[in-house]
Amino acid sequence: MSERKIKNIFTQGPIRSEFIGESIQKHSHQTGIGAHSIFLGQVRSDKIENKKVSAIEYSSYEDMALEKMHEIREGIFEKYPLTCLHVHHSLGKVAAGEISLFVFASSPHRKAAIDACAEIVEKIKAELPVWGKEIFEDETHQWKVND
Amino acid sequence: MGVNIIAFGQLAEIIGHRPVISQEIADTDELVAKLHTLYPFLSDIPYRIAVDKEIISQKTPLTNQSQIALLPPYSGG
Repeated sequence: MSERKIKNIFTQGPIRSEFIGESIQKHSHQTGIGAHSIFLGQVRSDKIENKKVSAIEYSSYEDMALEKMHEIREGIFEKYPLTCLHVHHSLGKVAAGEISLFVFASSPHRKAAIDACAEIVEKIKAELPVWGKEIFEDETHQWKVND
Repeated sequence: MGVNIIAFGQLAEIIGHRPVISQEIADTDELVAKLHTLYPFLSDIPYRIAVDKEIISQKTPLTNQSQIALLPPYSGG
């Protein structure tokens, strides 16, 4: 069994760009790292039948999501030689144009970082019990479905 | 004593975050039958059931300690 603990990934509201910058800065002392791969999910203002999405409100089954995320992380660490891996996901309302998902994978060489980052994003979309309610400009809403 | 249910996403909006079933339910087949009697439209909405945070794929026994979650398709990220 791994020593890694279950981490919280959830942040209330959008993920600030300052936080993303600070996260990069914090890794500057880890000089074994040669590559960071970052994925940022941004709330898209889809247009559906002439109505525009103005925000997405996220909710989650948090206990299950954190356990699932732990399982996904463990699998990714087994598969790729990563130095570290951080995931942040928004809960609550995130306006169109703001960031709701931040995945940050670091490794000595680029290929592991890029592949791990891409794989974890797909797993987050498919396996994490998180739901997004798309709120339109007129305050009506619909439930988002991942492709 | 009833069963402990939490609903999420679109399901929470329709049947409430903590729908109440105030009777003993032996297993998940019985639960589904009961839910569909109480909320007939559930047969039109795709959802999965988790028992104690594990998604079930077959009939699973329940106790009054079981944490049952009704999970519509995910849409995180």
